[in-house]
Amino acid sequence: MFGRVKPLWGEKSSLKSNYDAVIIGGGLHGLAAAYFLARDHNMRNVAVLEKRFIGFGGSGRNTAIVRANQRTQENVPLYKEALALWPVLTKDLDYNLMFFNCGNLNLMHSEAAMNAARMNVATAQFHGVESHLIDAKQCKELVPALNILADITYPIFGAMYHPPGGILRHDAIVWGLAKGAAEHGVHVHQQTEVTGIGVENGKIVSVETDKGQIKTPRVLNAAGGYSAALSYQMLGIKLPISVLTIQAMVTQPLKPLLNHVVSSGAYHAYANQTLKGEIATGAHMDSWPNYTTQTTAYYIKHQAEALAEMLPCLRGVKFMRHWGGLADMTPDMAPIMDGNDSIEGYFMDCGWGYFGFKSCAASGKYMAQFMASGNCPNMLKPFSLRRFEQHRLMGETAAVVNYTPDN
Amino acid sequence: MKRLEKLSTLRINPAKTLHFKYKNKNLKGLSGDTVATALYASGIRIFGRSLKYHRPRGLYSLDGESSNTCMQVNGIPNVCAETTLLADGMEVKAQNVAGSPETDLKGFMDKLDWAMPAGFYYRTLHKPARIWPIALKQVRKAAGLGKISAEFQMPGKYDEIYPKADVCVIGGGPAGMSAALAAAENGLRVILLETRPWLGGFFDYRTAQNGAGLSLSQSVRQAAEQLEQNSNVRIFTQTPVVGVYNNNLVTAFQKGCETDYFDERYLEIRATSVVVATGCSERPLLFENNERPGVMQIGCAHRLAQTYGLLPGKQAVFSIGHDLGLEAALDLFDLGLEVLCVADIREDGQDPALIEGLQQRNIPFLRGWVATRAHGNKTLHKVTLATIPGTLRKDFSCDLLVASAGMTPLTGPLSLAQAKLAFEPYTGFFIPRQLPAKIQVAGRLLGLNHPATIEASGRLAGTLAAGDCGVSVESRLKEAREKLNQLPGPDQGSKLVTAPVQGRKTFICFDEDTTVKNVKQALAKGFDATELIKRFTAAGTGPGQGGIPGHNLPLFVAQYHGDIKATAMPTTVRAPLVPTYIATYAGSNHDMCKRTPVHDSQKAAGGVIRRIGVWKRARYFSKDFSCRAEIENVRKNVGLLDASTLGKFRLWGPDALNALQRVYASDMSRITNGKVKYSAMCNDDACIIDDGVVVKRAENDYYFTTSTARAGATVEWIRYHTRYDGWNFHMVNLTDAFGVINMAGPNARKVLAKVTDADVSDDAFPYAAYREFMIKDTIPVRSMRLGFVGELSFELHVPSSYMQALWDLLTEAGKEFGIRHFGLEAQNVLRMEKAHLIIGSESEQRTTLHDVGLGFLWSRDKSEEKTVGAVALRQTENQEARLKLVGFKMEDPSRVPKDGSIIVDNRIRGYVCIARHSFALQEPVGLALVDAPLAGEGTRLQIYEDECNGQHLYATVVPTPFYDPEGKRIRM
Amino acid sequence: MALTLTCPVCGKRNGYEFRYGGEEKGPRPDEAGITPRSWCEYVHMNQCVAGIQKEWWCHKDGCGVWFTTHRDTTCNLEVDKPEAQS
Repeated sequence: MFGRVKPLWGEKSSLKSNYDAVIIGGGLHGLAAAYFLARDHNMRNVAVLEKRFIGFGGSGRNTAIVRANQRTQENVPLYKEALALWPVLTKDLDYNLMFFNCGNLNLMHSEAAMNAARMNVATAQFHGVESHLIDAKQCKELVPALNILADITYPIFGAMYHPPGGILRHDAIVWGLAKGAAEHGVHVHQQTEVTGIGVENGKIVSVETDKGQIKTPRVLNAAGGYSAALSYQMLGIKLPISVLTIQAMVTQPLKPLLNHVVSSGAYHAYANQTLKGEIATGAHMDSWPNYTTQTTAYYIKHQAEALAEMLPCLRGVKFMRHWGGLADMTPDMAPIMDGNDSIEGYFMDCGWGYFGFKSCAASGKYMAQFMASGNCPNMLKPFSLRRFEQHRLMGETAAVVNYTPDN
Repeated sequence: MKRLEKLSTLRINPAKTLHFKYKNKNLKGLSGDTVATALYASGIRIFGRSLKYHRPRGLYSLDGESSNTCMQVNGIPNVCAETTLLADGMEVKAQNVAGSPETDLKGFMDKLDWAMPAGFYYRTLHKPARIWPIALKQVRKAAGLGKISAEFQMPGKYDEIYPKADVCVIGGGPAGMSAALAAAENGLRVILLETRPWLGGFFDYRTAQNGAGLSLSQSVRQAAEQLEQNSNVRIFTQTPVVGVYNNNLVTAFQKGCETDYFDERYLEIRATSVVVATGCSERPLLFENNERPGVMQIGCAHRLAQTYGLLPGKQAVFSIGHDLGLEAALDLFDLGLEVLCVADIREDGQDPALIEGLQQRNIPFLRGWVATRAHGNKTLHKVTLATIPGTLRKDFSCDLLVASAGMTPLTGPLSLAQAKLAFEPYTGFFIPRQLPAKIQVAGRLLGLNHPATIEASGRLAGTLAAGDCGVSVESRLKEAREKLNQLPGPDQGSKLVTAPVQGRKTFICFDEDTTVKNVKQALAKGFDATELIKRFTAAGTGPGQGGIPGHNLPLFVAQYHGDIKATAMPTTVRAPLVPTYIATYAGSNHDMCKRTPVHDSQKAAGGVIRRIGVWKRARYFSKDFSCRAEIENVRKNVGLLDASTLGKFRLWGPDALNALQRVYASDMSRITNGKVKYSAMCNDDACIIDDGVVVKRAENDYYFTTSTARAGATVEWIRYHTRYDGWNFHMVNLTDAFGVINMAGPNARKVLAKVTDADVSDDAFPYAAYREFMIKDTIPVRSMRLGFVGELSFELHVPSSYMQALWDLLTEAGKEFGIRHFGLEAQNVLRMEKAHLIIGSESEQRTTLHDVGLGFLWSRDKSEEKTVGAVALRQTENQEARLKLVGFKMEDPSRVPKDGSIIVDNRIRGYVCIARHSFALQEPVGLALVDAPLAGEGTRLQIYEDECNGQHLYATVVPTPFYDPEGKRIRM
Repeated sequence: MALTLTCPVCGKRNGYEFRYGGEEKGPRPDEAGITPRSWCEYVHMNQCVAGIQKEWWCHKDGCGVWFTTHRDTTCNLEVDKPEAQS
């Protein structure tokens, strides 16, 4: 009925002994970089190495929310571009990424929070990104399920409303990018573990894997939660990263109820309805580093308590699945995109924390440009690793973060 | 339907009728019925429609593994009819139906499966791009089963408990009961959790003999009575386990019965040892139309009759792979069911007594045969059986097909506890190969089948659990092991993965309408790992999660790869094991916040209370949020502010000074007695994290304040940064022990003088001084002359218990001087006019002490002290291109820029931290963090407000403070 | 996951009573001779061990003590005798 079915990301190819670039990590960032390297920079002899299967890590564990209402001017343009790329990629990859442009409401629970949000809104508007401050009544009009009573733990004063945001189908992006990369000649090697990185005279020369050695002048570390450990163990480069477990969960599927992404810093929760009808919700991180993706009883309960107040009709809905993923957190909640610094040919795209999903298309595009040309694009310059030793934290988070011991 | 009566196994009360509503009809059930059995008794066979294809769905297992019997009950969506007890007056509705479950207008969807291969969304609906938004709406509408309105209010009461136990036994069947008893006999506190309303598991409904002259049902009910008498065992029935976490934390929820004060109750149990004795469910048989109403599993048919007195059909065919199927066929035959044929997947291995029973009853028995197709549009009316290779076929007209491929162990709790499971070819089960510490396993989920073996394995597990708890159990263990070894071991499990089928409607997952064909499509696309197939086909991601496909999917995939033994890996199981209401998880309200000692007074005085961090505080004292009256009164007369939330600490001991030197930027050795020292704390990036004052009350004895937000972390912070030093000092957090009143304004001294005999004149108690004295000879006060709001002011620290008295005293004494309360917003404006900063308002995570203009606080001459932040303060001292804090005034004084507005030229150059109309200066002023090159006095700032449509505001950088720059008023 | 930690004062307690205090990196270095990079190394950089690591914790909701323990970051369990396993 469908003719001969071809595997989506190409027939299984065997590992070659030479690649022009090796990308560690078959998640969204690695696959996006591979795709853009092959498509835009004619670098097709590229291998993506994935220890498990593509999309195993954060790429398949997020709640697929996208937005471009970040706090600083270093970040907004990157996310704005990422947001604009979804329809483009849907077309270019010929794969429906299922972008649901539902808009995001970021609830504010005090006068001070409203003022803080104004800075994000003004920054967004200044960059041509639609974003508005709205009051509690307007919130209720957009999301009738919201509780705007004044006597709850965190009464709603208003929200930052960001219409261009929304949700996508995360797996579709993983598969679409893998498909697109493969069509341009990239090899996606699953179940292939990197065991070492060869450096000679300050230059990358090879990557060791459990399936054999690869000679290559370029390596991109896009290993998500494992990027910092990999960097230290294989190259002795420590990163300012703490690997934390972030949790999310979904309810049983319902007919349409929520037409927007709703999030609240004070309740430490966000919620949106997936295209399957589940209410996806999450946000919590335990503050201790670990490599498990185990969930906690503490958190599913906390989440229920938050939702029961914020969106009280959900009290009658059942949680059915709770999962965890790894987030590689930096002290300033902004990523590290860097390369050719102490080791020529070594590139990093990590420290994304929980922003890795919404940024992947843009970061892939610019990291590809960086790797192909050897020169850091202006867009990525603020994200250098060196900012930490210069005490120039990024300002993506206004408050002192409380999960690192140094604050 | 007429019920079977006089069965000793019944769990319904024929004497107690319950009424409920379904499809606008008044129906009846009996006490003890579930919603599902009551509907079945009323002749209902189709309970709802499936998600994608709108196929009719009915009773399948009675344990609610799938969405087949998810219904709306009393307005609550997705209620599992199979596991919810019927209550009088319930209103029940079918879900996902357009029309009625029997005649669903969307039933035609079932014919459109060819258009919906696995992952079809990804390849369609996006070309051309403009159709996607339209298609999206349809996709959303089609998705989801239950409906809930935005106004829905969940009825019922919810609670939570946190019991502790030595041993927590999961599963109240024969193995779990034996384990609980064995542990209890060792003197341990046992908690036993059972999902069903009664103990006994799969013995409860069986009339088979136990070998000692009793039926299994009789013997297990006797054992249950015995267990209920045991005071060491706390039994929770109707309590499904939802989570198992490491270090043996078990979560569950209990459904209340009529006499309970709760509808549902969340349980979080910390146990020393956990015994998992969850038993088995049945592995669904894969054949064409395997979910047609009329097709049900062995236990479902058997329990309908024995537990609920409902004969599941008239004419039945059995297609089974386990002796329980043979037993059920005999039993149901004896109860009046016409059994046309029993097909057993297994060629051999059956209990000969059961075969003999079939022969005695002339029931045709086919070895190596299996159902390949169920016929019938809405409900079953014919079955095709075939040999396993599919070479021979036979049809039977019937209304019931009891179908089951074999057993599947309920390993959910083990998976959640991080046990390592592996495929075991003899039983065909995923069996625990490596158990986490202090977790024991017993019963059927190990593949055991023989009643005595199951009980013996329970005893062994209970004894092992007692050993986990430190009880000496060697001899008992030996005995339990020996007993178990003498009994029959596991039975061989049926190997069949799927019946020989050709069609397109063999469902591997009912919830998502995922067929075997869909799985094949995914495999052909290169999705070769089970987890990827799950994601691509959605199998196992619906309301019932892995309940239906959990065992078959990995077996099918492994078979595709050619080697079940090597490649079968269980799919990931996630909490909650049973879908659980958010209301249940939420339990009761847990909000905790602190109120100051004069909270009620302020509220009574018209204070508008806001939650700020952990505190509730008065933000305004009038409806005028500009706070003009409050502000002007402080400038003109005197105001009272409740500042009790300030962090307050005593730090003392021989190394107290060392500790202060470590964390404060300034040289703390230069504190003089009777004086307050203002300083700041930084982190190791030189960023300011706190400011406050320190006083020295005695040698090596200091009292200091922190900002409200920082109070909670201060002790930790100081201990953290001195953790290697072995210093001898003590700290105590006095934040809650002391209340603070800031009395500020030109009349402040007059008010204070009225209530104390102490000399509070400027000579005796000058600015920046610290004094301790008594008010009204009773209230001990620690007082500081500070100037945060820019007026003569006394900060009065008193024991919390005296706060109310002092507050009232001052309010009364101040009447003649025009005293009134002021709140946080008034303070905010007052301090802004003085350009005094609030951390978090004029600073953010990346703002250094230098950036906010407080670099002078840093003493560069104490590197021996290893002051936190000192290295970075040195490194950032002359750094360029940082944000600097400046004051500004507006070019157009009629307009106050909103807080959070940004400062721009062709890019963003900073932002407005705060701006207010100053009543004292009669124009707007504000503070902003701006790029260093813009920080010079006289620089023009272009302000971009949200929604400004290109209309910028302009301001000029001016020196600060704005108000009383010489500081005369604070020194009055 | 349900972390428990053994406080030297209070014994084995629920992990949520504690605050994580980072990888063990040794005492604060002398200020003399410190460079921005070496300082950053001490302050921000982590090894991110996937396995047993020595780390600091504060029993913040209990006795307040800071202590070190060994924890296996791959399973979130405290390790009794790390020497024997690492």
